[in-house]
Amino acid sequence: MTFEEAKDYLLRKARELGLELEVLAAKNRELAVQAREGRIEEITQANQGGVGVRAVVAGKTGYAYTEELTPEALDWVLQEARENALLQSEAGGFLPVGGALGRHDLLGEGLSAPLEQKRQKALDLEAGLRVDPRVKQVQMTRYAEHETQAILGSTGGVSGAFRNGYALLLTNAVMGEGQSLKQGYEFELAKEFHALEPGRTAQAFLQNTGRLLGARPLKTGRYRAYFEPKAFAQLLGTMGWFLLSAKNVLEGKSLLAGKIGQKVASEIFTLVDDPTLPGGLASRPFDAEGTPSKRTVLIERGVLRTFAHNAETARKMGAENTGHAARSYKGVLGVAPTNLFVEPGQGVRPDRGVVITDLMGLHAGANPISGEFSLQALGLWVEGGEVAYPVENFTVAGNFLELLSRITALGTELEWNPMMGIVGSPMVEVAELSFAGA
Amino acid sequence: MLDETLVSEVLGQARRGGASFAELYVERWRRRAVRLLSGEVKEATSGIEYGAGLRLFYGTEVVYGYTNDLSPEGLLEVSETLVRLKGQAGQVDQAGRGGLDFRKAVAQGLHAPVVPLSARDKRYRLERLLEAEAGARVGPEIVQVQTQLLEWEQEVLVANSEGAWCEDRRVRTRLYVTAIAQGEGGLQTGVAGPGLSVGLELFDRYPPAEVGRKAGLQALTNLRAKPAPAGPMPVVIGNGFGGVIFHEALGHLLETTSVARKTSVLADRLGEKVAADCVTYIDDGTIPHGWGSSEFDDEGRPTERTVLIENGVLKSYMVDRWGSLLTGYRPTGSGRRQDYTFAPTSRMRNTFIAPGNTPKEKLFEGVEFGLYAADLGGGQVLPGSGEYNFAVKEGYIIRHGRVEEPVRGAMLVGKGPESIKRIVAVSDDLEMGPGMCGSLSGSLPVEVGQPHLLISEIVVGGQA
Repeated sequence: MTFEEAKDYLLRKARELGLELEVLAAKNRELAVQAREGRIEEITQANQGGVGVRAVVAGKTGYAYTEELTPEALDWVLQEARENALLQSEAGGFLPVGGALGRHDLLGEGLSAPLEQKRQKALDLEAGLRVDPRVKQVQMTRYAEHETQAILGSTGGVSGAFRNGYALLLTNAVMGEGQSLKQGYEFELAKEFHALEPGRTAQAFLQNTGRLLGARPLKTGRYRAYFEPKAFAQLLGTMGWFLLSAKNVLEGKSLLAGKIGQKVASEIFTLVDDPTLPGGLASRPFDAEGTPSKRTVLIERGVLRTFAHNAETARKMGAENTGHAARSYKGVLGVAPTNLFVEPGQGVRPDRGVVITDLMGLHAGANPISGEFSLQALGLWVEGGEVAYPVENFTVAGNFLELLSRITALGTELEWNPMMGIVGSPMVEVAELSFAGA
Repeated sequence: MLDETLVSEVLGQARRGGASFAELYVERWRRRAVRLLSGEVKEATSGIEYGAGLRLFYGTEVVYGYTNDLSPEGLLEVSETLVRLKGQAGQVDQAGRGGLDFRKAVAQGLHAPVVPLSARDKRYRLERLLEAEAGARVGPEIVQVQTQLLEWEQEVLVANSEGAWCEDRRVRTRLYVTAIAQGEGGLQTGVAGPGLSVGLELFDRYPPAEVGRKAGLQALTNLRAKPAPAGPMPVVIGNGFGGVIFHEALGHLLETTSVARKTSVLADRLGEKVAADCVTYIDDGTIPHGWGSSEFDDEGRPTERTVLIENGVLKSYMVDRWGSLLTGYRPTGSGRRQDYTFAPTSRMRNTFIAPGNTPKEKLFEGVEFGLYAADLGGGQVLPGSGEYNFAVKEGYIIRHGRVEEPVRGAMLVGKGPESIKRIVAVSDDLEMGPGMCGSLSGSLPVEVGQPHLLISEIVVGGQA
């Protein structure tokens, strides 16, 4: 059975059973080529996918999914989803009524190229690293491409599909100089295979990891912090988004609850989510409930304008649906960002403090419910407007909302980072944060 | 799960391009999850995951493919694709001709559930979660309680061109409670999440009300806690999940994933002294019902108990098939993967520091000012430099040898090989705790464990 056939089968059966049902199918293709020591070390190719349903019975919602597309498995999915719905005591779940959303192709022929050229990208990236004698070991260099077709349909009339994807160059390697060793990574994503340049990715790695060699301890203290875009994007993608999710607000987990219209950040800070961004890596024509995409200003000049909503959270809070419904076929309804970005500012001129080049341990050291974070950081000490030396073995700690209100300057250029969602940020200067080191 | 003749045909065809080794991994998962918030079911979900991964070795070069289409046509198409990827379609090798005579190994049920998941209905599960929630409400400051139950049933078949055929069945259950307390300290959290390779007897091993109470008390402790101090100081690390420090600072550096590529600072150091005498470090995939236990690894090899470090001396790495080919070390049954969408790599199972002989109270005695990290969250490591971090979920100040007021929000950072040498005393109260570990072959259940121990100096990343 194909995914389309499985969707039709489920919707037909649901109508027979009088069940309100929303079907989401995802069909994924993956190709990855990994090089090491001048040879291809691993190639992976795959087609994979599944179909997941959200069922509503008298306002109660249940979920089930399968990767096995047989009538038996699909019948099991319907039965489980119905049973799971009946476990709910609260009513209030519903499926939005919708119509034909069309079939969209956001990828085109961008990934078309002979396999040999793709292998070569991975080999060239490794070769580009090896020219520098400070590169001691290459853990991996990788070319990968991912393509997804999402198919959505519901008994409420919603019907649509879109195709998207990207190609990626990634490396992870160890550089050394004297006694100092640093492991770093670098990646580049594009929707066009030919836009990837291994030479550029290699140079970026050598620059970004090489500058950390010979790091000294950082003395414990409170300093001005200069977050490079990659570091700030990670903080924003985890803690920032968590606080802005209407689902978390409704569940009593967000410190921003009740603060619509209030100042929650520095007045130079504006945060936007835009699924309609042309060429955006997370652009899409509609969300997981079939709500058409639109641009949303979440924080405008420091003032909280709206939370990110799906149809259910919007109805519960009496707010406008911002079209942020998200669901994977294995998952449950939530809200997720698309192309989330901080509007660039007038520029940052580091004077004295710590340039934070990267953050580690976000899954454990950042608590989005309390808003507090204490994270391992990599960085550079700046003195008299110049980079003095790299620093290591330290943490940066604070409260995320306090950090937002203490932003004193923003860089002029937006850089996109795909590590915690697709997040764009300029360089961000924060008046003062706690650093723990030697 | 699959017919022997078909498996033999797929492996045979896959080797026609000259592959030195072929392996087919087939699995079917049935997963259930339910999440309650303030006594109400927010989401309940059930799922089937079903797929196969085919891995070919050409010497040490690996070609991997996976699919959800387990029909003969689907599997043979993957095999054709992989041969073509290697650019050797049409080349007919003698390898793989003729059928395979499999040596069958079937799991004995060493970790099988005592109370099968099918023995109780969904209502029974809700009642247990409500008990956990009630247990978590230890005071009026507790404003929100979330309880979750995860149930995983996995059937696995691994067959390879050397004639190995192994079937395993793994059942895992985990209860997870998050309590949120509100007060002058803002919103603070406490968590508890026991998990084992068991069925519903998890609720007998860990009564839900007690699990909830632990999360609730931790949230209250964090609510009255002051921000943690900042800077280097002595730290006593609690038993159980405290072992995550070794998982990050040491364990990941001993997997052939990094050792074979020489991207671990501990590569090529067998027989050398890498830790203090009081440190013996073991990775054991055979612990009955351990969260990270299984009878076979995901390459079809029986799991084992591997002594990694004995009295400070490096004795063994954790070795998978690929790592063994590159390094010559004996495989240790450590090949693991999240699911069929990943090729296996060497991974930890249940890893712990063996008990020492210092009474717990003695650890605190000489500490003038330091941190007692009673419970820890997750962490991370860069094996190439050994730099690691992990977060403290429940911490207290040690002053003049006594455990005093609670502090919150500390992350501990250091370089693994340096920190390991600073372990000065190990107590005798070994406990284990479950976690999820993320690496190249995906996210996997592992246990970490240790007795209480004292580190002479480590950087504490607090705010005060």
